[in-house]
Amino acid sequence: MDEASEREFAEYFRERRDAVRRTAFLLCGDWHRADDHAQAAFVALHRHWRRIRDRSALDAWMRRTLVRAVVDESRRPWRRERATAEPPADHPGVPSASDAVATRHVLVDGLRSVPPRQRAVLVLRYLDGLDVASTAAVLGCSEGTVKSQTADGLAALRAVLGDALDDLRPAG
Amino acid sequence: MTDLDDDRLGDLFRAAASDPGAPAPGFDRESVVGASRRVTARRRAAVLGAGLALVAVAGVGTVVSLPSSSSGGAGDASTVAAPMLAPAAPYDSRAEGADRRRPRRASRTPRHRRPRRRPPRRSDPPPASAPTGRTRPCERSSSRCCEVVGAPEAATTDECRTGGERGVNVEVGEGAARGLLTVEYLPPGVTERLVAGALSAPTASGGTVVVSSRPERPGEPAPLADRLPDALRYLAPLL
Repeated sequence: MDEASEREFAEYFRERRDAVRRTAFLLCGDWHRADDHAQAAFVALHRHWRRIRDRSALDAWMRRTLVRAVVDESRRPWRRERATAEPPADHPGVPSASDAVATRHVLVDGLRSVPPRQRAVLVLRYLDGLDVASTAAVLGCSEGTVKSQTADGLAALRAVLGDALDDLRPAG
Repeated sequence: MTDLDDDRLGDLFRAAASDPGAPAPGFDRESVVGASRRVTARRRAAVLGAGLALVAVAGVGTVVSLPSSSSGGAGDASTVAAPMLAPAAPYDSRAEGADRRRPRRASRTPRHRRPRRRPPRRSDPPPASAPTGRTRPCERSSSRCCEVVGAPEAATTDECRTGGERGVNVEVGEGAARGLLTVEYLPPGVTERLVAGALSAPTASGGTVVVSSRPERPGEPAPLADRLPDALRYLAPLL
């Protein structure tokens, strides 16, 4: 890349690194794996930087890369996830939803129990604030699929968290 | 979940993702750029290595007929691993017309196959010599010397070095002169002291291509030495 492109990439990296990490964290539920996924997505972005002519599409490109990486990883045998309505036997249990710290643990633990594609829909819609059409564009599916997976994902979340979700309160 | 609206869900998700106790980011821009360059260099080297191996081993498009430097005898035949090393053939309007009609066939001759015979046409020129029996394609024309498919590989044909460097060595001959033709690719940022007689040029990818020809024995003339500039001009835009 030439110097101007490197500067553009550096600026984008500085602005978006933390947001991409947060998205990756909610997608996989682990900060270290989130770092791996976010770094891999930025490496891919750097390699394709010159080919992405529409700079306004960078966020969508990153989200698509990130979601694919997380979903693909969840399908690998050694890290295959199993959606379950019941917490594992050794699960410490849903913590009290009485404060903001608990919100984090409750929601992150609950999201781990949601199937990866549905989890990706929920994260894109509620963390990144995308509408149905934008979410469908990122995931490469129809808007109807996004709507149904949103409903299914929220239902799966409620199945795990029960009324705790209604009692959650955001930080601040 | 009907009693939770989108705004409240958004607040909950943002609160869950903003963990003040989260570990510091495990990567920075330098590590990203470094990893990107390593991946790019690795893939480029793989593509280049495959291409060079194809040129060196399969000999695709490598058959070059060299006219004799003085008499044009068949003993001056030589083959090199790059078509750009072929010297300009004497102008022949008929041949040019044939090349224009069938450019691809004209350049694809590396087969030890007997040429397919076709009935002679009235407009065909008379054969320069009377071929009898098993005739090698090179013997069909007195203006061309023998064509040999694929140059003999040197003992070390394809060199893959660390840092993405690649090299190909091919034994070549030009007349009585025999020696080793070497083509090397150096990735961007890598410099190498040139051996005597070697030529180098920057490539399209920012690297360097080095072409050299060494005689088999010290003191003898290096084969194809006068065609190295043509080789550079041919290879530089491709690498």
